[in-house]
Amino acid sequence: MIANDFKKYCGLFSEYTELRFQENRNLRIVFVNGNLSGNEVGGRSGVSARVCKNGSWGFASTPEQTAAGAKSVVKSALENAVFLSTRDNLNRSIFPKQKAAVDKDFSTHHKRKTQKELIEFVKEIDAHIKETHKNIISRTVLLSSLEMEKSLITSDGSEAFSLTPRTVLIASLSMQSSSGPVELLDMFGGLGNFEDHFKKPSDLYARIAALVDDLAKKTDGISAVAGSCECILDPELAGILAHEAIGHTTEADFVMGGSIAANYLGKTIADPLVSLVDFAHTAFNRTCPVPVYVDDEGTLAQDVPIIEKGVLRNYMHNKRSALHFDTVPLGNARAYQFYDEPLIRMRNTAFLPGNSKLEEMIASVKNGYYLVKTSNGQADSTSEFMFGVTQGYEIKNGKIGKAIKDTTISGVAFDVLKTVTMVSDDMKWHVGGMCGKKQPITVGMGGPAIKCRLNIGGK
Amino acid sequence: MNEKAIAQSGLEALVKDGAEKAQVIFVTSKKQELNVESGEISLLRTTFNTDMRMTAIKDQQRGIINLNKIGKSEIKKAAKTALNLAEASEKDSAYDISEKQPPCTFDNAIKEPDLDAMYYRMAEFLKEAGQLYPRIVFENLYLDFTRRTEYFLNSNNVDFTASDGIYNFTAMFTAKEGKKSSSFNYSCVATLDLSKKLLSLGLLNTLLQQSSEQIETRPVPEKFVGDVVITPNCLEGLIDGVVDSWLKDYALISGTSIYKDKIGKQIADTGFTLRSMPVSKQIANGYFITQDGYKAENLAIIDRGILKTFLLSLYGSKKTGKPMAPNSGGCYVIDPGDKSLDELIGNTKQGVLLARFSGGQPNDNGDFSAVAKNSYYIENGKVKYPIRETMISGNIAQMLMNIKGISKERVDFGNRVSPWVSCSGLTISGGDK
Repeated sequence: MIANDFKKYCGLFSEYTELRFQENRNLRIVFVNGNLSGNEVGGRSGVSARVCKNGSWGFASTPEQTAAGAKSVVKSALENAVFLSTRDNLNRSIFPKQKAAVDKDFSTHHKRKTQKELIEFVKEIDAHIKETHKNIISRTVLLSSLEMEKSLITSDGSEAFSLTPRTVLIASLSMQSSSGPVELLDMFGGLGNFEDHFKKPSDLYARIAALVDDLAKKTDGISAVAGSCECILDPELAGILAHEAIGHTTEADFVMGGSIAANYLGKTIADPLVSLVDFAHTAFNRTCPVPVYVDDEGTLAQDVPIIEKGVLRNYMHNKRSALHFDTVPLGNARAYQFYDEPLIRMRNTAFLPGNSKLEEMIASVKNGYYLVKTSNGQADSTSEFMFGVTQGYEIKNGKIGKAIKDTTISGVAFDVLKTVTMVSDDMKWHVGGMCGKKQPITVGMGGPAIKCRLNIGGK
Repeated sequence: MNEKAIAQSGLEALVKDGAEKAQVIFVTSKKQELNVESGEISLLRTTFNTDMRMTAIKDQQRGIINLNKIGKSEIKKAAKTALNLAEASEKDSAYDISEKQPPCTFDNAIKEPDLDAMYYRMAEFLKEAGQLYPRIVFENLYLDFTRRTEYFLNSNNVDFTASDGIYNFTAMFTAKEGKKSSSFNYSCVATLDLSKKLLSLGLLNTLLQQSSEQIETRPVPEKFVGDVVITPNCLEGLIDGVVDSWLKDYALISGTSIYKDKIGKQIADTGFTLRSMPVSKQIANGYFITQDGYKAENLAIIDRGILKTFLLSLYGSKKTGKPMAPNSGGCYVIDPGDKSLDELIGNTKQGVLLARFSGGQPNDNGDFSAVAKNSYYIENGKVKYPIRETMISGNIAQMLMNIKGISKERVDFGNRVSPWVSCSGLTISGGDK
């Protein structure tokens, strides 16, 4: 929780100021073909201040988490703001005051495992794969965790403490095909510490066996036929569509920087079946993968309904962009490390479920693809998005056919979302979403299965 | 305590706690960064950081801890943690540290930024780019100066200190007119000083010009197999993909590299030479010390199409029994070719001038597909028009073998030097419209 003596630093503030103490703690254990190639822990902590004077911002940080450190960063941040404001006085009005207070600790209540116990856990999974699945030619089992602990006070009176851990275990396997090695991975875990997600290695064996089965199908994979096609996006993959296709396009800094979404607020950009929300911390009565209660500008975090029944309703804002668009920020300003300034970031971006069943969606496709797993993705100011697909299947006459090789799908989001004709009634969150935009950040991405028309790469 | 003494104290703590082999990498850095958001110089950042990476090896077991708190008690505690991690680790004879070498100090002698010059150059860039390219909207511009000192010490008496200062400029932009927007594009360049206008660095002028005309785009006329002429900006991602996917530790230890048996063999057209040049004067933003604590050297990775070396670390070398590379990769320089850019385009019957590559990771075989961004359709040797919704599919290993030409012209980005490269045999397809 936020320490009382932290509040005394308010006396240092003369202009609009945010003061943040932060520590990121991480752990990484990697076995590559039975070799422990990674065994490390780390921590990075410090204090930062951001000051706004006449619309110009100054920021400073130091690893020195002391009263002297706090004093020095507030002073240095103010000097930086003054440096800019004396050269180019933007003369902006001050942000409306916002005051929020929250204390959220998601760390485990279980007894913590030692590093040796964690290594043994990962090693046992690695050994199981080696012993059980003889057709695997290469295997990597990786355990990584990140705990972000932040304490924030602002000159507006906001006070926030959060401790948000995330733990992910990845099994990445390769099998030989006639054209060379083929790879597929699965990811387990999510919000919380290791002890919250993993009890014993054997709990994961059924999913690893399923991964091996999927990989075996992929070794016989065929190239997709390049061009426009009808696709069913599995719930596991729909999240990245939410994030890349629409999410980035509707971040207000992207909108101010030329995003085509600037033209569409209040207008229909998708089929009425489509609704999209950037959830702050809770969705469908459950805590989201990346819960944010107060953001790093001290704004109380609330959900942002981005698309409601096909109509673009809102962008995501920080204080600066909210002022520009004459609206209120809802808690999207987030920083990754103590030395990073808050940027407009998504939190938990998801399509809302519809009424269809995945099976009937697949059955409705005469000639197309069922796409299941993704690797990376990228958005564009035109709303043209792309993402890599690492697991997918042909659909022929309503039935799942052969697996396809790795490919890329793309489309113009504001066109693609108008081609949506079915949305499933279930919903999945992606376990380990990371987003890169000057800084990396943890994100939640989710959704139901979606039937739409896309471009696919292939032969 | 001075910085070197702090690093030394970390090493001593590891040895005292029982490390048979110990290593400390201690980095101090100060960054000053000007930020432009939505066309305004809106933020000035000053950040200090310290990072210490402590490695302990005992009984062939290894533990590593990273910390940025460097007080006496924190360092002592970290040393104990590193030893505990080592004791929890598996035994592996490949865990090692670099052997004794003469102590060295390196410094590029650029110690402080000229903050007024940074502001001046940024404001000048905004003004001139605004006049020359009125359709351009800058989403973000960053100009930073980072001064960094690295102390690399180990228990074999390796004692290196490397300091450098460098300016980095990143521009991300879109062209906009009325309701139409181009795709965004971006470029990053590094420079030792601010004697030149930012607009003249890298390929920025060309990219801004191209974005300005990319508001109006058309799909390619048909699905076809053709050539791509890859721009220097775009080449970076492809080269990184080849090196990271197939020439480094992971792919060689796991055995998934398609090049694992190709040393001394042809993997690219004979006109293609790829060098990694961290200590070359051609590279402003190089490095002096490898990740394992050796003096970095320049090397040819692919020489006239022949694969000369992998980029294995000390650990990777010991695991695979293959030689360790004399540097850690990066700082890539591709030798110039014998054709002009105009000739490369002129020799293209049907293809794409590929300026940005937005795609999934190539698979283990090198198969990839990606969306061509900020790119142009080429027909009968002429650049015809900017394209949209165009997918390019192929195999990166085959692309290297199918290089048709390399330009004489090259672009210096400060951390790499790249020409234009033309390759044949790519599948190019468009969307519905």
